[in-house]
Amino acid sequence: MKNSFDEKILEEANDWIKTNQKVVLATVIQTWGSSPRQVGSRMIVNEKGDFSGSVSGGCVESAVVRECIGIIKDNKPFKKIEFKVSNESAWEVGLACGGEIAVYLEQIN
Amino acid sequence: MKLEILKEIIKKKENKSEFAIVTKLSTGESEIFIDKKPLSKNFDKYTDQIENFYKSKKNGVIDNTDVFIETYIRPIKVIIVGAVHIAQYLVDYAKSLNFEISIIDPRGYFASEQRFPNMNIINKWPNEAFKEIETNSNTALIALTHDPKIDDPALQHALKKKFYYIGALGSKKTHENRCQRLRDSGFSEDDIKLIHGPIGIKLGGKSAPEIALSIISQLVWETYKK
Repeated sequence: MKNSFDEKILEEANDWIKTNQKVVLATVIQTWGSSPRQVGSRMIVNEKGDFSGSVSGGCVESAVVRECIGIIKDNKPFKKIEFKVSNESAWEVGLACGGEIAVYLEQIN
Repeated sequence: MKLEILKEIIKKKENKSEFAIVTKLSTGESEIFIDKKPLSKNFDKYTDQIENFYKSKKNGVIDNTDVFIETYIRPIKVIIVGAVHIAQYLVDYAKSLNFEISIIDPRGYFASEQRFPNMNIINKWPNEAFKEIETNSNTALIALTHDPKIDDPALQHALKKKFYYIGALGSKKTHENRCQRLRDSGFSEDDIKLIHGPIGIKLGGKSAPEIALSIISQLVWETYKK
């Protein structure tokens, strides 16, 4: 059996919008190999870089936040980004688990 | 995503309806899919694939397309009998785990709005209360009063309706007595074995939140076991 996979991120997005924040919704749309979070996992980011939810186990969230701020600044409606396994260099953003994920960013407007 | 779609999704979730969101990744357009209802021109050629995702309750991109589907299913219904101290913590856990809780307790002092704000509380005896709740094999029962007058009718209802999880609080001795009463009422050993009693997995804790944790862990375990 399955319970509803729902972390109430969309409700939180709506609360943010009510307080006049600009909100970008980031959704895991594809995964390959071992990835930390399943397809449908979500996070939201506002223009200041505050975020809630997750698309990985903390591995790529900071890069997602930067991308989201970017699409708000450039007023782009959406963008697809992919993350692959990180190499040995310590501060590079990537998935330490060896998986790959595609994340879809879309502004709520 | 358009704000109006976001609001519609939230409304549909509040109404406990099942649906899917479909998004065309190349244009950012999205709409809500409802079973047996036609989709707009943007998506109608993918109707069969979308229905397949919806029926198998899966999320993902349709192969060789730019269409992403996210399905929303109804949360599992969990009925707690006994608005006791442990139930207050169960409610907290259930909120973040997205279970839909109803509390049954005929005792007004227990089942109060003050103790359980914004909860579906049914202040009736179980046999009456179950007339108000639709239950099936996707429903779970947590019986917490260890008072046979209140727990037993609820357990009998759950066994008859084949709830996927049935748990009853009480010591081994309390549970033995309970099993005997169910035998006397005509339930088989196979039926009785379906009841988790004493309820919960053994974590060792004794406080109300610890017992609630052991119960909710067993409930999650049983949810994904099958």
